Amino acid sequence: MSASARGIGGRQRLPPRWLVLTGVIPFALVLLPVGYVALSAVEAGPSGILSDLIRPYTLNLLVNTLVLSVSVTICAGVIATAAAWCTERCDLPGRRWWRLATALPLAIPAYVSSFAWSSFGPAFQEMGGAILILTFYSVPLIYLPVCAALRSLDPNFEDVARSLGHGRWRSFRRVVLPQLAPALGGGALLVASHMLAEFGALSFLRVETFTTAIFDQYTAEFNNRAAALLSGVLLLICLPVAFTEAALRSRRRFARISRGSARRITPIPLGRLAPLVLLGFVALTVLGFGVPLATLGFWVWRGHSTGQGIGDLGKAMLTSVGYALPGALLTTLLAVPLVAATTYFRGRFARLSDRLPYLVHGLPGIVVALAAVAFTIRFTPAIYGSSLVVLLVYAVLFLPLAQSSVRASAELVPGEFTDVARSLGKRPLAAFVLATLPNLAPGIGAAFALVGLQVMRELTATLLLAPAGVVTLATEFWSYTSDRAYGAAAPFAAALVLISGVPVYLFTVRTLGVAEEL
Amino acid sequence: MLIIDRRTLLRGGAALGGTALFAGLAPRIGRAADTLTLYNGQHRATTEALVAAFTKATGVHVTVRNAESPELASQIVEEGARSPADVFFSEQSPPIASLQEKGLLGPVDAATLKAVPAKFCANDATWIGATARTRVITYNKKMVAPADMPKSIMDFATPALKGRFGYVKQDGFQEQIMAIVHIKGRDAALAWLKGVKQYGRAYNGNRIASNAVENGEIAMALSNNYYWYSLAKEVGADKLKSALYSFPDSDPGNIYNVSAAGMLKSSKNQAAAQRFLAFMVSPPGQEAMIRTTAEYPVLPGLTSPFNLPPLSDFSAPVTPADMGSASEAYALEREAGLI
Repeated sequence: MSASARGIGGRQRLPPRWLVLTGVIPFALVLLPVGYVALSAVEAGPSGILSDLIRPYTLNLLVNTLVLSVSVTICAGVIATAAAWCTERCDLPGRRWWRLATALPLAIPAYVSSFAWSSFGPAFQEMGGAILILTFYSVPLIYLPVCAALRSLDPNFEDVARSLGHGRWRSFRRVVLPQLAPALGGGALLVASHMLAEFGALSFLRVETFTTAIFDQYTAEFNNRAAALLSGVLLLICLPVAFTEAALRSRRRFARISRGSARRITPIPLGRLAPLVLLGFVALTVLGFGVPLATLGFWVWRGHSTGQGIGDLGKAMLTSVGYALPGALLTTLLAVPLVAATTYFRGRFARLSDRLPYLVHGLPGIVVALAAVAFTIRFTPAIYGSSLVVLLVYAVLFLPLAQSSVRASAELVPGEFTDVARSLGKRPLAAFVLATLPNLAPGIGAAFALVGLQVMRELTATLLLAPAGVVTLATEFWSYTSDRAYGAAAPFAAALVLISGVPVYLFTVRTLGVAEEL
Repeated sequence: MLIIDRRTLLRGGAALGGTALFAGLAPRIGRAADTLTLYNGQHRATTEALVAAFTKATGVHVTVRNAESPELASQIVEEGARSPADVFFSEQSPPIASLQEKGLLGPVDAATLKAVPAKFCANDATWIGATARTRVITYNKKMVAPADMPKSIMDFATPALKGRFGYVKQDGFQEQIMAIVHIKGRDAALAWLKGVKQYGRAYNGNRIASNAVENGEIAMALSNNYYWYSLAKEVGADKLKSALYSFPDSDPGNIYNVSAAGMLKSSKNQAAAQRFLAFMVSPPGQEAMIRTTAEYPVLPGLTSPFNLPPLSDFSAPVTPADMGSASEAYALEREAGLI
């Protein structure tokens, strides 16, 4: 094959048949909630749409949704990049531990940390509080990919920039930052779309966004029509976010056949700044992890209901893990062909199927869950009420998390690997499995851990779609806090945080390379 | 230390996950004829106590799906005639009334209906009240004296109370709006909503609002009575900084609302569903519920162990059936820009 027949970055024009077939499955799944929203909006009729949407109330929601999403993404992006730079490139004392500490808030569900913080009073509520609390929560999602990207950068580029007379800051901005853009953009996209869909945390913080308004619509009138219209707006907001991130990455090639000469990077001395930076890391850990955890301890100590339902703890833990493992496996399996198709091949369909899950990631869980109810009960009633449905919904909800992790690995693996295997006579699927897939293992491992983490704390879809009577740590926490039995709720939240520690650790290790380096 | 290489980890993970995935694929175990499926939006502890007493008394096993009532109502609407639910137990009457309006509920047995005063039930016999509660004001004792409490719910729409009270758009708020519509008229209700929006602080749940009052974040909150009692149960009544206040009898703020249950028309297990509803309003069923929550029994002659003021003191002119699915409240909330 001549070089001219390839696209930039060695992409062939058409993906092989196996890839198309396996890529269609997640695409179709993710299309369902979009179709559900579209159909409900059509049912509402064109006349209703405008009068429904153009109201001061909707405008207010739009402003809140955008302010929250943009502010959290920017704040978390800046903090995460600075933290990654300090732990990867500077002589920060105890940096191995700070890496893990910075990733730890990932183990705490947003609704737990929001509840903890909002109990300190109105100062930590409303928009200001929400931005603060959700920023701490979101930092690890950007920090980890940026760390990984910083490690894989060739330091020689920086040396060249410095030798050309650029200062440290200028060479960071001109040389390092552009190379970090895919990792930064990928993390930021996850955070931004997650903020669009966040509900549990915001209900404690008294911030109204499109998502909380969608829940309000269901509460006030069980109004699937008005809710669908607001969901449609959410999809539209997500659209530019998802495609901007893709544009950030397009027309770049990051893969290197060889890693170049291995060279230890001399850490930049922090000097007089060291105590200040250390203080920053302590604050980040205390605010993002320490405070919510201490609040859980306080509940156990103070609450009269402590101990109630504790007999179900073991069962709930097993069920949570029992859903998290297959949910993560299924989601990761579905994500691999999507990523492979867009990373190694080009085409409109591949691009669309890669972007669509990010749009749906911005939809509230209730909309996706009701779409699944409407679809399965009509077309596949046999599986309605079985665990399979809830696993498929997890895949729809969390595909982007898996995609981002797998993509981080895929972009470092040249497509030529598969070509070489093909030239040795392997069929397309076998060539991919033998030559490329093993090299994606760190990304697949990270995806598995991250999705498992999110599945364990998922609530709405689990409540509506898991077989009746199923209890998980998240559902127990929810039902005890609804009854205000905080003492009873706390052990379930603590168990959730504790078990989450395992995937957080795995995710950190997988994202940042082998354990010894951590 | 155990060292796991990448391949072992992946293999182990895949095997573990694969097994679990197949467990998920396995067909559901066929439902026994004497098993009832209950969609429950009422507080879980209350329903668990009821179900345990029911199963003990009848031997009928009950499978419960717990979620928020409005979400369950939306789910039943999407499920339509194929709904696996036999009975829906709603925390409030409007969600179940919305199913009534869509024709998804079957009639409740006449004997069951007769046991419960008509003021707690649907006009067309499709649902029955299970427990009743009152609308109240929770106030912080340090921030406002009982003598200075507003004399009417209508006072909350005035600048005098600006920034002093919280309100919650769920769980009883629709019923409150409907009561004002019935007693004072639609225009008054709209003006009231606009005032509440302007002068009050919105909270996203009665629990959160009553916590805010307890913590001194805000002086008062519009709420249901049992939230205060459940807080008292958790931290001890003597330690509470908040207390309850009710409006005089004639005021539209002095109303009650109910948790309610009904049988799905599509139920394949109607005999057991009717038995459950009958048990719910029988003395043992009522007692199981009122022991766990500070709500009133709908069955006359029983008293709550929570030291509640007697319900007969309240002569509210509006019943849950009058409120229906509260679609007028929804329209008013939209007009006032609340939702």
